[in-house]
Amino acid sequence: MSQTKQIDLVASQLFTSEEQEALRDLWVVYESNFDEIQAATMAAAEADPDLKKVLAQLTPSQMEADQLKSRRQLQRAMQEGDWQPVIEDIRVQGGHYAQMGLPFASWFVVVTAAQKAILERLFHAYRKEPTRIQAIVLAMNKWLFDITLASIGEKYMDTREHLIKQQQEAIKELSTPVLPLRAGLLLLPVIGVIDSERARQLTEQLLEGIRTHRAKAVVIDLTGVPAVDSAVANHLLLTVRAAKLLGANAVITGISTENAQTLTRIGVDLSGLVTTSDLQSGVDEAEWLLQVARAHRESGADGLQARPIVDR
Amino acid sequence: MPVPILKQGDYLIGSIQSALTDTDMIDFRGALADQVGKNRSRAVIIDVSGLDIIDSFTARTLQDITHTVKLKGAAAVVVGIQPQVAFAMVQLGLYLDGVATALDLDEGLALVGRMTAGWRARGQ
Repeated sequence: MSQTKQIDLVASQLFTSEEQEALRDLWVVYESNFDEIQAATMAAAEADPDLKKVLAQLTPSQMEADQLKSRRQLQRAMQEGDWQPVIEDIRVQGGHYAQMGLPFASWFVVVTAAQKAILERLFHAYRKEPTRIQAIVLAMNKWLFDITLASIGEKYMDTREHLIKQQQEAIKELSTPVLPLRAGLLLLPVIGVIDSERARQLTEQLLEGIRTHRAKAVVIDLTGVPAVDSAVANHLLLTVRAAKLLGANAVITGISTENAQTLTRIGVDLSGLVTTSDLQSGVDEAEWLLQVARAHRESGADGLQARPIVDR
Repeated sequence: MPVPILKQGDYLIGSIQSALTDTDMIDFRGALADQVGKNRSRAVIIDVSGLDIIDSFTARTLQDITHTVKLKGAAAVVVGIQPQVAFAMVQLGLYLDGVATALDLDEGLALVGRMTAGWRARGQ
């Protein structure tokens, strides 16, 4: 969607001929006071803590080169109406600063400071022609806000969205590792808040893991889960039952005191689950389950001192 | 289509290859119980790895089979439930209570070995 909007912005006539006329007048004032306006803008930027940090990363020669480039581009844009390079440059810079983590609000500081500095000189230069000033101010605001800030904002949105997407992917991959601890024993450490999407994924991965690793026992560790509500608890219960259908017993470990109290208060019945306080005792418990199974198989093989075990 | 029932030593193996009609399912239940009696089998293994879905009737029948063959003196194990089928089942509240389950035929054979170990020990 932002893609089509960008094309529209370039393709359409950005400024009417009257506005372009006004911008030419503006350039005269801007050009003749360039250093002062630049200084005022920089002073405002220095006062902003976030901007100061970013500016500190740039070398003076780099800054000077950037300023010179944008000055030439701006001149071409305001005098001849060639806005394309200016907009492209703004987008590149916007994306760059967004990636550096500069808050979008900081751009308002810069733009309003520039606006204030220009306005002062403008009113001074054209003080006898109020209608002219009006036209210039309108065109200037369009340049500063509708074009500059809007382009930067767009780029910020793109960058943020991209970042969020990346992080979501990362979280997805990291969220539910199924770790084979030893033959027949799987560990599923759950860290962070469990929402319905994660719960579904967790179950899927665990059940697939049981099949691929031929697990007989599973330890689900909830030490890293800050809150367990009834939905999550019920989902866990279903997961444990599904694991049982695949022939694996599950042990739940690391339910915090708060979570235990919450579950008791909301009346979730977890009596069907094997639970232990921490991961260590959970692994012990699971190993015991495995050993019992193994011992029975061995004793069954040599046919000594075994009793029928119908329910496992 | 009737479900093939294979005899393997003291055990019977019934392998459900594709979705069954309710009638087929009931026939399967009867045939298994009959075969247990005829062969004096000690355990029955029901392989459901071919099923993409296990509905309430199928689940109920699996439970019935377990109870029926138990009355006839044999243990029963259901094997090969697919992971996604397992989760769909528990979501529907079909927990197969009282039914022994194992991952696949291999594990199922090991499990019935354990379940019937005592009988062998007593020399039956």
